[in-house]
Amino acid sequence: MGMAVRINKSRLLVYAGTLIVAIVLPFVVSDAYFIGIVNFIVTYCILCLGLNLILGYTGLLSLGHAAFYGIGAYTTAILMTRHGFSFVPALILSGVLALFFGFLLGLPTRKVRGDYYCLLTIAFGEIFRLVTQAWIGFTGGAMGIVGIPIPEVLGWKIQTEVDFYFLGLALLGFTYGTLSLLTRSKFGRAFVAIREDELAASVMGINTPMYKILTFSIGSLYAGLAGSYLAVYQTTVTPSNFRLEESCLMIIMVIVGGMGNLAATFLGVTVMAVAIEFFRPLPEYRLLIIGMIMILVLLFRPQGLLGASAFKD
Amino acid sequence: MFIDVLIVGIMVGAIYTLVTIGYSMVYGMLKLMNFAHGDVYIFGTLLCYTLLAQAHLPPLLGILIAALAGGILASMVEFFAYRRLRAVQHRMISMITALGAAYVIQNSSELKWGSQVLPFPSLFPSQIITVLGYQISVTPILTLAIAIFFIVAFNLFLNHHKMGKAILCVSQDIPTSSLMGIPINRIISMVYFLGGMMGVLGGILYSASYNAISLGMGFRGTIVAFTAAVIGGIGSMSGTLIGGMILGISENIISVYVSSSYRDSIMFLILIVILLIKPTGIMGKVEQEKL
Repeated sequence: MGMAVRINKSRLLVYAGTLIVAIVLPFVVSDAYFIGIVNFIVTYCILCLGLNLILGYTGLLSLGHAAFYGIGAYTTAILMTRHGFSFVPALILSGVLALFFGFLLGLPTRKVRGDYYCLLTIAFGEIFRLVTQAWIGFTGGAMGIVGIPIPEVLGWKIQTEVDFYFLGLALLGFTYGTLSLLTRSKFGRAFVAIREDELAASVMGINTPMYKILTFSIGSLYAGLAGSYLAVYQTTVTPSNFRLEESCLMIIMVIVGGMGNLAATFLGVTVMAVAIEFFRPLPEYRLLIIGMIMILVLLFRPQGLLGASAFKD
Repeated sequence: MFIDVLIVGIMVGAIYTLVTIGYSMVYGMLKLMNFAHGDVYIFGTLLCYTLLAQAHLPPLLGILIAALAGGILASMVEFFAYRRLRAVQHRMISMITALGAAYVIQNSSELKWGSQVLPFPSLFPSQIITVLGYQISVTPILTLAIAIFFIVAFNLFLNHHKMGKAILCVSQDIPTSSLMGIPINRIISMVYFLGGMMGVLGGILYSASYNAISLGMGFRGTIVAFTAAVIGGIGSMSGTLIGGMILGISENIISVYVSSSYRDSIMFLILIVILLIKPTGIMGKVEQEKL
């Protein structure tokens, strides 16, 4: 059975328009500060698209997404600084390793449900962070890994903010493209069926445990890619990049945009990134503001700005 | 040597039980993971630090004010962040608002007290007595006695006082209790209030026996409470005690004989193993999913 991908003309126009704007953007506004923010948005879009697949399509609340981001980042950092890997193989291995750990953490979805599963993901994320802090010989401890070399893709040396913007854009394009194909395929419809009514879906013959594990692994894969990107972009990785609050931020970005709607994730990430940027002069209030947004959004608009549906019980 | 480690372990276990009681009751009653629990108790404990170490209030008065403040804060969190969401929607929504509330309280405490470790004053003289040839420090024994006193008092309240019985009713069945004329909202506020208060008392005992307090203990406290509650079986009082003790004793043995830098990782590992093997805990009941 082939994948039925229907693309109508107006949708094609929107894609083409977005692509042109995205490519022209750094030439119009070449301010490094501005491109820095855009790069942050691009990274979090990759992360949150994967998370939206997990949260929005199977209803699993994962608060360990930052750990997969970290697994990707540390994989790239270690391979490139110590084992002489170039960027592309390191990127691929980062994705594969995140996929593998996503698979492992996805396995318990068969037995552990709902809020207990959420706690399991928190425990996983915290163990990851604590181990990266304590295992100094392997991860550099709290100081992290520094001096990650300049990445090179097909002879193109990626050095400036704008170069990184295009690298991020390519990864984001890959993420969005593959995910929208996936969610429109037979798999995607099975995901939606599970989210809407797990019991009914399993009665209809959908292998719900398998789909959940698969979703979780695939969602984690993209976090691994984003982590790899972060490693070469920052040239350092430290455990503080992957705290629980980063996972919370990703969750709230997905929810602000709207769960189960991939395109809405762009909006959610941008809105939150702009809000964070707006409060940048007050770093000591950062968590307070994120916390307030978490409460207010869920009290007043739990389905998000463009959500397909709110949480269902 | 081992006996000291064991005594301190039992003391920590009793404190963890205090911290866990309110948390476990809220979970048993509302199926809500109160992520703000740890940050509430650390707020109360930090307040107690200010009252004792800086304002030099008499210890009992300072502790009382801090415990009440913790209780009030806990019921305020319930009122603002959870109550509206209780009836209608999926419980994951209130889990996220709970995390939001945790961040708001944590950040507010940080603005006032910073995140460094502060020297919490001792509540007891650091004497050493000799029992059956063993040299034992007084502090853990007294701390343990106080913690056990509060655990017993709370159990008596729950089983014999009218309010306590109402709490037990609500945790069994909210709609039916409501039909029987129990004021649900007031009882739930009460549970949060008591849970917050017990948490602060636990926090004060913990900080006083280690002479240290820091903001970071808040989130850790939430995880401790959850782990202890899950080990024992959520909503069960005796389970809470078992869970608290297992956690307190194993944590101290690991810190002393293995390594203290992996202490928290091991706690999370215990949590994962319990969730995978027996998520209903030692004393918990299996919940059947209704169709």
